[in-house]
Order: sequence, then structure tokens, then C-alpha cells
Amino acid sequence: MRAFFRIAFVLSALWFLAHPNASQAHAIIVSSSPAAGATVSGDTVAIRLHFNSRIDRARSKLTLLAPDGAARALTPASDAPADELNADATRLPAGAWHLRWQVLSVDGHITRGDIPFTVH
Amino acid sequence: MYLLLDIFGYLSVVLRGLILIAQSFTLGGLAFQLLLWGPLQPRLSVYGLTIEERCRAFLRFSAFALALLTVASLALNAAALVGTLQVPWSEAVSADFGRADIVIAACALGIAILANGPAHRLRSAALLALSVLALAMQTRLTHAASRPDVRWPLLLSDAGHMAGAAVWIGGLPYFLIALNGCKDAGDWRLIARRYSLMSMAAVAAIVCGGLVMAANYIGSVAAIYGTAYGVMTLAKLGLLLMLLMLGAGNYFLVERLRRDPTTPILRLKRFAEVEIGIGLTVLLAAASLTSLPPGVDLPRDRLAWHEIVERATPQWPPRLTSPDYDKLTVAQLQAKITLADAGRANAQAAYVPGEGTILPRNAEDIAWSEYNHHWAGVFVVLIGLLALVEHFRWGRWARHWPLLFLAMAAFLFFRADEQAWPLGPAGFFESLRDPEVAQHRIFVLLIAVFGLFEWRVRLRGSKAGPAALVFPLTTALGGALLLTHSHAIANIKDQLLIEMSHTPLALCGVAAGWARWLELRLDGRVSRAAAWIWPVAFILVGLILLDYREA
Repeated sequence: MRAFFRIAFVLSALWFLAHPNASQAHAIIVSSSPAAGATVSGDTVAIRLHFNSRIDRARSKLTLLAPDGAARALTPASDAPADELNADATRLPAGAWHLRWQVLSVDGHITRGDIPFTVH
Repeated sequence: MYLLLDIFGYLSVVLRGLILIAQSFTLGGLAFQLLLWGPLQPRLSVYGLTIEERCRAFLRFSAFALALLTVASLALNAAALVGTLQVPWSEAVSADFGRADIVIAACALGIAILANGPAHRLRSAALLALSVLALAMQTRLTHAASRPDVRWPLLLSDAGHMAGAAVWIGGLPYFLIALNGCKDAGDWRLIARRYSLMSMAAVAAIVCGGLVMAANYIGSVAAIYGTAYGVMTLAKLGLLLMLLMLGAGNYFLVERLRRDPTTPILRLKRFAEVEIGIGLTVLLAAASLTSLPPGVDLPRDRLAWHEIVERATPQWPPRLTSPDYDKLTVAQLQAKITLADAGRANAQAAYVPGEGTILPRNAEDIAWSEYNHHWAGVFVVLIGLLALVEHFRWGRWARHWPLLFLAMAAFLFFRADEQAWPLGPAGFFESLRDPEVAQHRIFVLLIAVFGLFEWRVRLRGSKAGPAALVFPLTTALGGALLLTHSHAIANIKDQLLIEMSHTPLALCGVAAGWARWLELRLDGRVSRAAAWIWPVAFILVGLILLDYREA
């Protein structure tokens, strides 16, 4: 019987090790400004990310990645609705930019994503 | 930290599944003690001290496990926040989920300590209060807590859903302990009748809560088959139907027991064992479901019905030869993939830390993968067919079917990793540095050992003892773990179509494993029927693999 449990344990452990790709998260973007693939003017870009769930703003972040790869951290506005992450970015040089977001939904799940957009 | 982030997503789901299991066993144990054992004990013919001690020991173990797993989950999530946001640990732990986790762990610890002695009135009240608080805090870690709109109906539904699962699934081990501990038919009748009533009430809570959640989180028929959330809900429904069939069997047996006290209860016990196994699978599927955004939130890029039908329509012949670039069909396939990729370029992306990006695949990769799946399907269909043939007097030779696992292991060893020895340029030991190759090689070894092990079991027949149970347990476990597979968070159609084939595979695996368990653990009609069910489930698995396509 002991051997049986040992075998069952080893098999279970191997099964667990064999599926390392599952994910836990669920805050996703319902709508965004700029939208993915959009072209905007670089003077002032109003960033408005609307999520499907309420988020913990203090434990979320927004980062802009410049065409040369340099990262610029943005400070999320504190007066946004509970399911939004907003910020303003000014004086962005022309080129292909990426807005990288990471949010913690209030039920404890972390999600990340990228929004590519172009500044003319 | 990078290693932690790499496995963060997977560990979160596994921990969530284990937490739901420990929580069900804890709350189920309390419900059993307060609603069944306490009130019935004066009417039972045995004193039942041993039964009570065993139940309390299992309850304490479950509650301790719940406390430990919750702390582990808190530490994991906080570590991911600290690692990605560079915030202090104190700030990470003080998030909403952190505070809820701390209260749940404290409640579980309190239950473990209080459950140490007999349930007097004051102690019972304290245990009840702690369990209600733990359940309330647990609802703060569900989809309901973060919805932007009205949350109370969803929070209540979630609490009812989890409480129902705890009373029914979580109460089963205690039910089995009580049935095994009592020797009198009158006691069995009382215990089984009361537990049957509790289970029916629990099923009502599960179904009502589930319906409210399904209406709010799925919202439309198109989202049922068009999103991963809907498909996983269907998988849970399939498992619930299996459980209800077993529950109905038990209900009729309990009714017979009421009329005729001499009715044997072996079937009741064996069905309860299978209910525990399938119940744990449901909880793992529930953990997987919490990792997905509700289908109602993904109105764009859903799978259309005709796309599913097109993918599921069997193609003949299966891909049993290696891919060749020069073939026209492969070139056509490449064009189709390029088109799909172009459509994905502007889609919203979402992923968890460490998940990485989806690598582009070409037609050759896909053809290679399909080729592997189709050959695996051939082996599995043959295994199922031989297991059926074995039933006939003229087919005794077919009992050597486990040797087909060796053939399958050899095939996978040569073909699973085209870059590794003996086909590719990477040497045997060098290739083991790639985690995916190492994983495949471990699997190959496992399949070979498993084949030899099961072959020995078949040769020894009824003398094999508990070793015979390894095969059904492994099959059922494999099916259960398939339901915790990775999900594309956003609606990425090609990934979702691949995931869709996992769900029927998982359900067939679970059905096959537990049918074989019943065949071994029971006798009579049910055992004979189960002996036909699991090979058929195996054949279905093989046919699904033969129909597997990635584009």
C-alpha cells in the first residue's frame, strides 16, 4: 500500500510539473485611448484605460516605451473611476511607442499588457 | 525573482485549486459535524468515538492545510507585486487580497485549534462564526468582488456556490469515514438519509448560485462556445452531470436501504469515492475558471459557431507523415496562418507576469505538432480497442495492450523534439538543458514505466492488489490537470480553438479513470458496465487526438 501511494505521489508531482503555463489573472482592457494601433499627436496624449474590473491603482503602473526602447514611468491620476487607469503624457517625439500597463484587480489578480501606438 | 515570475501564473492556479479543496474539506467537515453527526449521534447504535476522532483529525488537517496554503498564496502574490512594482512587502501585503488572505488564514487556524475537542454549544457557535467569516473573506477573492457594477447578488451567489460545494463534496470524506466506521444497517440508513438530504440542499445552492453567475458572467449563448470562460463553464457542467448521476444512484440505494435494511452498501461507498475524485476535479476546474476574464467582458474576437464546426469536422486522412514544405497544402496552411496573424496585430494583448509572448509558428511547426498528436491518437484508439477485445473469450491475447505504451514512448522519444537527438543537431544531454525537451523526456520515461507497470498488473490479474488502482488514478488525474491548462486571457482565436479540444479530452480522461476505478472496486452489474465504459472513453480520446488540428 505504501508503494502504491509513493507511485501515485510521484505521478501526481510529475503531472503538476508538466503543465507550467496556466495563468491567473482577469483584469483586461474593455476600451483604451489611445487604441491599439492608433496614430496620435505627440503634444498631449490623454491615456484612458478602461478595465472590466475595479483595480487597485496604488499597486498598478503605467510605463511608456519610446521608439528607442527607453522607459518613461507615468503617474496614474488619483481621481479616475474605480475601473480606470488614466494619465497624461506630453511632448512625445514621433515614432512607434508602446504603452505598457500592469494592474492589480481588487480581487488580487495581476495582469499586464501592451498597447502599440504611433505618434506623428 | 525571475524564476518565481516564470512560474507565477501556474503556481497561482494550482494554489487556488488546493485552497478551494482545503476550504471545502474544512467547511464540509464542520457541516457534517454540526448538521449530521451531532444531531444523529444519540440515535446511533454505536458510541462512535473512533469515527468522531477520525473526522476531527481530518477536519484539523484540512483547516491547517487551508491556513498554510492561504499564507503561501499571499506570499506568492505579494512577491509578484514586489518583484514587478518594486514596492515594499508591507505595501504589497496590505492590498485588499492580502487583508482577506490574512483573515482567512487566521480563521482556518482558529478552526483547526477549536476542532480539537467535542462540539459543545459554545465551541460550535465559534466554529460556525469562523467558517462564515472565512467564506465571506473568500468571496473577496472572486470575480464578484472586482465587478464594477452591482456586486451583492454575485457575492451571495458565489458564497452559496462555495458553501454548497463544501457541504456536498467536502462532506464526502467524513461520510465515508462514518459509513466505514458503523457496522449496523440502521446506522447506515440514518447517516445515508441525512447526508442525502444535505447533498440535495447543497446541489440546489450550487445550481442557483451557478445560474446567477452564468447569467452575469457569460450573458449570451454566443459567449458559451465563443470564449474560454464559457467553455470552462461547460466543462464544469459536464462534471456536475457526472456527479449528479452518481448522486442519483446513491439516492435510489438509500431509498432501498430504507425499505430493506439488508441492502448492501458497498456501491454507496464506491460511488462516494468516485464522487470525491470528480468533485476535486470540479474544484480544480473552478480554480482555472477564476483565472479567466468573464466571457461577457470579451465581446470582440469570439469564436463563431461555424469556425468551431470547421475545425472539429474530421479530416481524412490524419497526418501520419512528416510535413514537407513543398507540398501545396502546407503552403496553403502558411497563407492561412499569415492571414490570421495579420488580423491579430492590432488586438489588445494581456498576460500575467512571466508568461512571455506567444512565439510565431509556421506551417511546418503546426504540421509537425498535428503529426505527433495524430500518431498518439492511433496508439490510444488501439489501446481502447484492445481493452474492449480483451472482454471476449477469444480475445484474451489483447490483455497485453499496455505494451502499446512502450511503442508510444518510443515514438515520442524520436519525434517529440525535432531539434534534439536523434533527429536534431542537439546532443542527448545538451538537449536536456531545454526545459521543454527535459519535460518531454521525463514524460517519455514516465509513459514507458507506466506501460510496464500496467502490463505487470494485467498479467497478475486479481492478484495485482492496490497496484491496479494506479492506472485509473493516473488517468483521472491527467484529465483533472488538463482542466488547469493555460488560457489565453484575451480572445485569441487560434489558441482558443486548440484549447477547445482539451476540454473533451479532459472529460473523457476523468470518465475513463473513474469508470476503471469502479470496475476494480465493485462487482456485479455496475462493474461490468464500467468495464465497457472506460475503453470507449479511451477510443473517444484517441479519436479527438486524431481530429486534432492547429490551423
